Amino acid sequence: MATVAIPAAKWNWVPPYPQVRTANNLDADAQLVERCLAGQDAAWEDLVKVHTRRVYSICYRFTSSDAEAQDLTQDVFLRVFKNLRSFRSGEGLFVVWLTRLTRNLLIDHYRRSRMDRATESIEDQVKMLEETTAVLSRTDGMLAGREASEVLQAGLQKLSPELRETVILRDLEELEYREIAQVLNVPEGTVKSRLNRGRAELARVLRRHKVRI
Amino acid sequence: MTCAELEILLCDYVDGTLRAEERTVLEGHLAGCSACAELAKDVTGVTAFIETVAPAEPPAELLTRILHELPIGRPSTEKRSWWRKWIGGWVHGMLQPRYVMGMAMTVLSFSMIAKFAHIEPRQLRPSDLDPVKIWAGIDDRTHRMWDRTMKYYDNLRLVIEIQSRLKEWTDQEQAQNAEGSKQKATVSSGQKAEGSGQKPEAGTSEKKR
Repeated sequence: MATVAIPAAKWNWVPPYPQVRTANNLDADAQLVERCLAGQDAAWEDLVKVHTRRVYSICYRFTSSDAEAQDLTQDVFLRVFKNLRSFRSGEGLFVVWLTRLTRNLLIDHYRRSRMDRATESIEDQVKMLEETTAVLSRTDGMLAGREASEVLQAGLQKLSPELRETVILRDLEELEYREIAQVLNVPEGTVKSRLNRGRAELARVLRRHKVRI
Repeated sequence: MTCAELEILLCDYVDGTLRAEERTVLEGHLAGCSACAELAKDVTGVTAFIETVAPAEPPAELLTRILHELPIGRPSTEKRSWWRKWIGGWVHGMLQPRYVMGMAMTVLSFSMIAKFAHIEPRQLRPSDLDPVKIWAGIDDRTHRMWDRTMKYYDNLRLVIEIQSRLKEWTDQEQAQNAEGSKQKATVSSGQKAEGSGQKPEAGTSEKKR
């Protein structure tokens, strides 16, 4: 079976986190929220358009199911619609508020579906592993794009929910440590500790899947 | 620097936000500690790998679905007075598909009952709204319907059979009762006759004593 290489780790690289959320974006969020609270329908459309991708991405990475991620994304926005008045722009960023809401919904969903996961058949797990291995065997160079996404998805599912959500929020959603601490309601040091453990665990899982780290 | 201290700074090191002197100390520790060096390698390797991952894109129809499901256009975000909320709740409830369906079924059921009861719909006139006339009409219709129902019930074959069987049983019972009372009467009259014959004998025997 071909071993797949990923870019070698560099000790002195440039931070991989571009400043996606600029001051303008934050202002735009605050204005959008104000317009939504004023009852402007167009503002709601804009709010959904701007944030659907982020919410869906978090849900998909956490659940690893497109259907569940879609349903959860819809639930998140329904909850936003009902509870937007509880958001105070002076107390924090809308993105953090939205992410916390999404995370709480995901944790509820995780607890609810615990029984389903427990009864998941061994055949399904074997099938998932075989599919991932098939993806790897097709590639003869660096993993990238969709294939890397599938491998990462399989790896994330092996992590505990605590480590998984931290890795998702930092490495995929690019939130600051302070923001992640607010979302998870834990100290910043705990966030960093979980992130180190999550990344190390993920590296072990990926190595088991023949991905060279 | 200890391993625990390194772990705290590792995230900032991976991000490239560590100060130069801290970084030098950290790299010095990594050079001498294989466990920390492996951890740092894993962490940086995974971060580099995640960079190559394609973002999870939501399907195009999801946006439409969310916008369709959101109750946009309804004044739920405005502060409403209690009576508007109350009325809004009623109106909202009445506009629910299942309520409308229920109403449609009720109308259909009533129209079917009216058809079977031969209540013909016709154009309303002002004189039809006279309460006395309405009451008389309802009373008349009720009596007619009652009579018709009773007639229909009486004409049912099963009912006739049960009634005739009941009548038969009642006749038989009456006949048996009549026969029984007749026998009792004959027995009692015979006993009376016997009693009247014996008494004088008893009297005579007493007298004899």
